[in-house]
Amino acid sequence: MTAFLQNCFAGLALGSTYALVALGFVVIYKSTGVINFAQGGLLALGAYLGYTFSNNLAIAFAVAIVLACVSAAVVGAAFERIVLRRMVGQPPFAVIMITIGLLFVLEPLITSIWGFDNKQVDNPWNIQTVGVGGLVLGVRDLWTIGLTAAVVIGFFAFFRYTSLGLAMRATAFDPEAALAQGISARRVYAVSWAIAAALAALAGITLAAGPGGLQPSISFIALAAFPAMILGGLDSPGGAVAGGLIIGLAEALTRGYQDQLFSWAGDNVSVIVPYLVMIVILLIRPYGLAGTKDVRRI
Amino acid sequence: MLVRRRGKGVVAAVAAALLVAACGGAGGDGGSDSGQAGAPGKTAGFDGTTIRLGVLTPSTGSVAVIGLPLTAGNKVWFDQVNASGGIAGKYRVELAQEDTQYKPDVAVQQYNKIKGNVVAFTQLLGTPSTLAVLPQLRSDKVLAAPASLDGLWVREENLLPVGAPYQVQVINAVDHYLKEGGGSTSSKICAMVQDDVYGEAGLQGLNFAAERYKFSIANTQKFKINTENYTGQIGALAGAGCQMVFLTATPSDAAKIWGTAAQARFAPRWYGQSPSYTGALAKSAVAPYLQQAVLIVSEGTEWGDASVSGMRDMVARATQFAPQQPPDYYFAFGYNQARAMTAVLEKAVQQGNLSRDGILAASKALGTVGFDGLAGDYQYGAAETRNPPRSSTLFAVDPAKPFGLRTVKYNFTSDAAKAYEFKKSEM
Repeated sequence: MTAFLQNCFAGLALGSTYALVALGFVVIYKSTGVINFAQGGLLALGAYLGYTFSNNLAIAFAVAIVLACVSAAVVGAAFERIVLRRMVGQPPFAVIMITIGLLFVLEPLITSIWGFDNKQVDNPWNIQTVGVGGLVLGVRDLWTIGLTAAVVIGFFAFFRYTSLGLAMRATAFDPEAALAQGISARRVYAVSWAIAAALAALAGITLAAGPGGLQPSISFIALAAFPAMILGGLDSPGGAVAGGLIIGLAEALTRGYQDQLFSWAGDNVSVIVPYLVMIVILLIRPYGLAGTKDVRRI
Repeated sequence: MLVRRRGKGVVAAVAAALLVAACGGAGGDGGSDSGQAGAPGKTAGFDGTTIRLGVLTPSTGSVAVIGLPLTAGNKVWFDQVNASGGIAGKYRVELAQEDTQYKPDVAVQQYNKIKGNVVAFTQLLGTPSTLAVLPQLRSDKVLAAPASLDGLWVREENLLPVGAPYQVQVINAVDHYLKEGGGSTSSKICAMVQDDVYGEAGLQGLNFAAERYKFSIANTQKFKINTENYTGQIGALAGAGCQMVFLTATPSDAAKIWGTAAQARFAPRWYGQSPSYTGALAKSAVAPYLQQAVLIVSEGTEWGDASVSGMRDMVARATQFAPQQPPDYYFAFGYNQARAMTAVLEKAVQQGNLSRDGILAASKALGTVGFDGLAGDYQYGAAETRNPPRSSTLFAVDPAKPFGLRTVKYNFTSDAAKAYEFKKSEM
């Protein structure tokens, strides 16, 4: 039982990171109809900014996290303002290609500033643990779960109770109707990019605070979060969070019971499990767990 | 990018020849053709005065952390060769470097881009890139030095490997564990390897050791590179009661694996394959755990060890030609690679032929090349008769040391490692 709970905890921590990344994907998709392939690049940028604030500028780690998220948000909003605003009304495919281009720009930009060396972020978590019953819980993992929970609650409160959140929901639901009500779609798009970038930065810096440290390949985690977004439903923030947690748990539990239950299927079943789960769920629910069914008049 | 080697060669062709001879390394000490031929004629990559060598390395991307110091090692060696007059005291060496991004398809493109302008490749970094370029090396009759310790290369005549292969590292590590590390054949000996050809090399060594020393491998965990969470694997190793775990990984994964083990308070005796380690680990939060539980099996000696002549020379040359270079054993690997290639070039000049055929013939005619304690001596020659070094050095993690490594046992060879046979693989 202890081993099961230990694996569940690992899955929740991993799933929380996936959830943050997937939520960023969904925020942009919901408001603009575009899948942002640069989410991994923004995650890496946020993590390196956090490193700079914490290590180079010797700012307290908690403040460094906030500054990294704010800085990434500014970068995200600026990118929308400078580049993507010119693409309003253009085919989504063109905008998607621009986000792919951004990803390929961010990677060399990051390495030209910070290099390729592994960086160790100064932080109070590292490999610290606390014991609960027979479980050993990583402090970094606990903070990742806690921060994700807080951010998700804040995110839903923002959407539900603020005028800007209402404007974003209205724009996502019907951009033209929202515009007719005086809602600035441009402002909504910029805020969406800022939120997505901040979420990515938070995911990045919590990852970088672990024992693996920080290196440019940290952006690959966004690929693993992709199935979480798809199975949750492209336009559902709640689905993204649920998808992230499901994928994280499925991956960790498969890995934990590889020897006992899955050895017949090869050595690394956990790597393909997220995609298998995604395929199965899409076969049952083509729009994901909580995605909106596309209704067309024929 | 073209890197021009500068050298004031005038002082002495003679001095260079003496230096090379004294080092006992850059020239082989044996070979089938010791006679002098005429000056080599112009050929692709050689204009009569300058020899151009290719360097295919990731200078961008996640593996640049290995490619950059390794290439710096190449450069420093050839800087000192040029400063001493060049190959055979008269031919300067120039490096043509291209970025492979550690992508096999890019490596093939870059190979094709410069193959017509170089006599050979003094660095081709990574097992995947080497496998991708190898068919063309064969058809083009080009020689390349792989920056990889895979045992696959030993029997490939178009490749010029240096160092003891990964399999030898594992066997020597097991030997140490059983004889001096407190283990026995009834101990629970386990493996954790990445699921690719590099991990497979580690497993081959461990399987051979298991057969030789008559123990069974209690548990094997495989993982995909850039995995984010290793709780499952560590739980499985702990559940199997592993007392020794051999790890074949690269540094970022190794850091996460050891970090997860530290969090789980799972502390077997770890032995890490040489590429598992990088100096940053000694400064990380995992360092106390590494000091307690981890030994790294590699070659050579700790950085700055003046008792080893090769290290003394290398540090002096690094100080002279690359003063900004931090201690790094990938640097030493690149330095050794360049040294082996220099031995081939010396032989080719001696035979009066720097063409591709001439370079391959020189490679086959090489005898044993020594590395003055930075790596074991390599017995070259026809691919089917080559004998790579069988020695390893064990290091403990020590943050007070340059590169964070302290020598525990220097340059030892187990009987089992001597018995390991390298076979030609169908590739």
